[in-house]
Amino acid sequence: MMEASVLRPAVRRSALLRAAPALGIGAALVALALTLSNDFYLYVAFMAGVYYICASGMNVLAGYAGQKSLGQAGLFAAGAYTVALLTTRLEVPPALALAAAPLVAAAVGVLIALPSLRVKGPSLALVTLAFGLVVEKLVTEWTDLFGGAQGVYGIAPLTWGDEPFALKHWVVLVIVLGVAVHLALSHLLNGRFGRALLALQSDEIAAECAGISVYRYKTLAFVLAAALCGLGGALVAQQNQYFNSDFVTFHLSVFILLLVLLGGAGNIYGPIAGAAILTMTEVFLAQWPSVQHFIYGAMLLFALYLMPTGVAGAIARVLPRRTAALDGLEAPPLVAMERGRAEPSGGPLLEVTDVSKAFGGVVTADKVGLRLHAHRVHALIGPNGAGKSTLINILTGVISADSGTIRLAGQDITRGTAHARAARGIARTFQNLRLFGSMTVLDNVLIGAHARIGVTGREEDAVAKAKAVLDFVGLGEHAGALAGSLPYGLQRRVELARALAGDPVLLLLDEPAAGLNPRETAELGQLITRIGQLGVAVLMVEHDMGLVMRISDEIVVLDRGVVIAEGAPRDIQTNPRVIEAYLGREDNQDQEERPC
Amino acid sequence: MLQAIIGGLTLGSVYALIALGFNLTYTTTRTLNFAQGDFVSVGAFVGLGTVGVLTAALGADAVGYVWLYALAAVAAALVMGVLGLPLYLAAIRPFAGKPGMSWVVSTIGFGIVLQSAALSVWGLGARMLPAPFGDEVFRIGEAGFRSQELVVLVLAVAILGAFDVAMRRTAIGRCMRAVALNRDAAALMGIDVPRVMAMAFLASSALAGLSGVLVAPILSASLFMGVIIALKGFSAAIIGGLTNPRGCMAGGLLIGLVESLTALWSAQWREIMVFLLVILVLAMAPNGLFGRKLVEKV
Repeated sequence: MMEASVLRPAVRRSALLRAAPALGIGAALVALALTLSNDFYLYVAFMAGVYYICASGMNVLAGYAGQKSLGQAGLFAAGAYTVALLTTRLEVPPALALAAAPLVAAAVGVLIALPSLRVKGPSLALVTLAFGLVVEKLVTEWTDLFGGAQGVYGIAPLTWGDEPFALKHWVVLVIVLGVAVHLALSHLLNGRFGRALLALQSDEIAAECAGISVYRYKTLAFVLAAALCGLGGALVAQQNQYFNSDFVTFHLSVFILLLVLLGGAGNIYGPIAGAAILTMTEVFLAQWPSVQHFIYGAMLLFALYLMPTGVAGAIARVLPRRTAALDGLEAPPLVAMERGRAEPSGGPLLEVTDVSKAFGGVVTADKVGLRLHAHRVHALIGPNGAGKSTLINILTGVISADSGTIRLAGQDITRGTAHARAARGIARTFQNLRLFGSMTVLDNVLIGAHARIGVTGREEDAVAKAKAVLDFVGLGEHAGALAGSLPYGLQRRVELARALAGDPVLLLLDEPAAGLNPRETAELGQLITRIGQLGVAVLMVEHDMGLVMRISDEIVVLDRGVVIAEGAPRDIQTNPRVIEAYLGREDNQDQEERPC
Repeated sequence: MLQAIIGGLTLGSVYALIALGFNLTYTTTRTLNFAQGDFVSVGAFVGLGTVGVLTAALGADAVGYVWLYALAAVAAALVMGVLGLPLYLAAIRPFAGKPGMSWVVSTIGFGIVLQSAALSVWGLGARMLPAPFGDEVFRIGEAGFRSQELVVLVLAVAILGAFDVAMRRTAIGRCMRAVALNRDAAALMGIDVPRVMAMAFLASSALAGLSGVLVAPILSASLFMGVIIALKGFSAAIIGGLTNPRGCMAGGLLIGLVESLTALWSAQWREIMVFLLVILVLAMAPNGLFGRKLVEKV
């Protein structure tokens, strides 16, 4: 599904060069359209173009952001009725009405995004489906405004000179619009925006902790899909000069989703393949109306079984894979975190005061206080269920504290969202790996740099920095590999690299050595020490006491949500309260005599 | 008013049957049959066909129509239940347990195939299936209702109750709940998970077919009637909480009531009201009214 990220062309090719093939094909299509005189073929071409425009927006939403909406017919209607009502009731110029249609549809898209953002999977399907049905019923029943099945007649079309557009003009228009949409979307999706959407589709929590505002990006995807679908509806209404409620059906919604899934979701070429194939199928099957539905259904039934990544995905698998172009890139070695140097010296980097959290009656953090310093490696240890992971989650904003304050470099971040904290330089890894498995190692690392690219706006810098980070953790030669295909030990390091790419001031590691063999653990220890030397404050939760004692500058011991000890490793080893928490009370003699 | 409530509960109990079907497949396979609507319509026509064939074979009035209707209901449930197996094999099994929602497309595809096959047999037109106890209107106070409404209500409630007991008390019910709770652990305990999943689809499709026969005397039966009924069943399942069978039943009754009470005021607006309610409920309670919140461990 995410083949697109693999196919990303070399980053530094000039924009014009990248646009050349699309422009060329567009020009050829226009030339071809101008030679056609058969109205039937022209109409087919027009509809294919409209389908492509709808599908390309839907691909952003369903393919990249992973939000399978079943209500796009409602947005199609929003665009269509916008031009219909604006030109017939208010006599707005047709061109202006056409321009207004995507805007109105986008506004409706925001409306449907609001409830959709709170639900997932089948519930999301239902919310969007219900939206589509409400619109369908509304335009059918509210005849005073929408004309119902009677429809709206006399929709003003665009004009060429004084003449209304002929079918040929409409075809040229959709080709021009289609190429423009394709170029704009490739520009967006082959960079930071597309990566962010793929990341949140793969793992929302990991995306959020990498600095991506899941809420904002999902809304954007809804709005883009809505605007393009609305544009498609408006084009159809103006070309027909007529629109009625029969266009707005659940089948249209399914069809628009199908264009994307069949063509190849999450692939920039998917909608083109989908629009071409489904339009042809419709035309071809129209000769035998009796079997048309039957074959159509069979296609749906087996298509994704035979081609799970759609037609475009299946084609991409046959073509040789282009790997990320990092080979020629020289990146200066990573010697210090840029942000780290800017912090005022003295004072703790992170100061946690009286943080408490309870889940029902279980208190997992009870007035926890913590001070973390730049350049130092801190370890957080404690028996199972002590609340270590909870504390990491509170610090990164994945769960919110019930009370207490958290200050980063003197600023209160207690109420900050996870992505805002990530943008301020709090990075983390997860106890159970949360990599974006079907994306490349390089893309994983670039997602870590999401917020940073947002500031500098320069993808090239981010790629160079990603290269430096990959060299630093020793993954340089794996940049082009899919993260999910690497062995476990290397995947752990990819996650570390992703966290480092965001230029963190504070790095939180949740059991980084879990599942590693002794040699990998030793290498990890050296790596963490070097990360500390970069100027980063490190806090790691770890059960491997050998590792903890060897590399920590400072250890905090947590038991049942309470900090019971903190200090240098050798102080902790002899601290009676720590021994008691781990092994039980000394006076409990019979426990020690057990032969286990 | 009373009339509207009875009518609402009647339709609601049909939605509840369908919602229960969604619950069964969702908990065991994390997938839903988006062709459920076609199973409802085709179920109704299988019922109609059975009545027709039996009347022709036995001669009219050979046995009471009540028995014919009962046989038709059983036949519809059986045929649709058996059709649930190819649905599972072709449209669900390749995608169960995988991310993405490819099964939406494949089940819709199966539905279209089923519908076009049925269209070639029965054609486009709508038919009436007579109610087993006649069409007279009973009166209680000033409210009048049809016998079929009571039949549907009683039967549906009985089936829902039987399912509730079966899921809790029988071995197969325990297996289904085990698979629903933790598929891997259930497999390790020796439960044949694919078989349980297939059973879930069999039961779910049988429920859809039965619902079709039950509503056919109330609404006129056409091959297009199922879609909206199934969508309301789907809504019922989601707002009641897809993971909670009793929630699904409650959701069905709620949707039925909202629909028929809205119809008192304006018949055209009832679908709009139902689906607006769905959007509203999910915006407030993303896991449905009685659904369990799935906590993701980080």
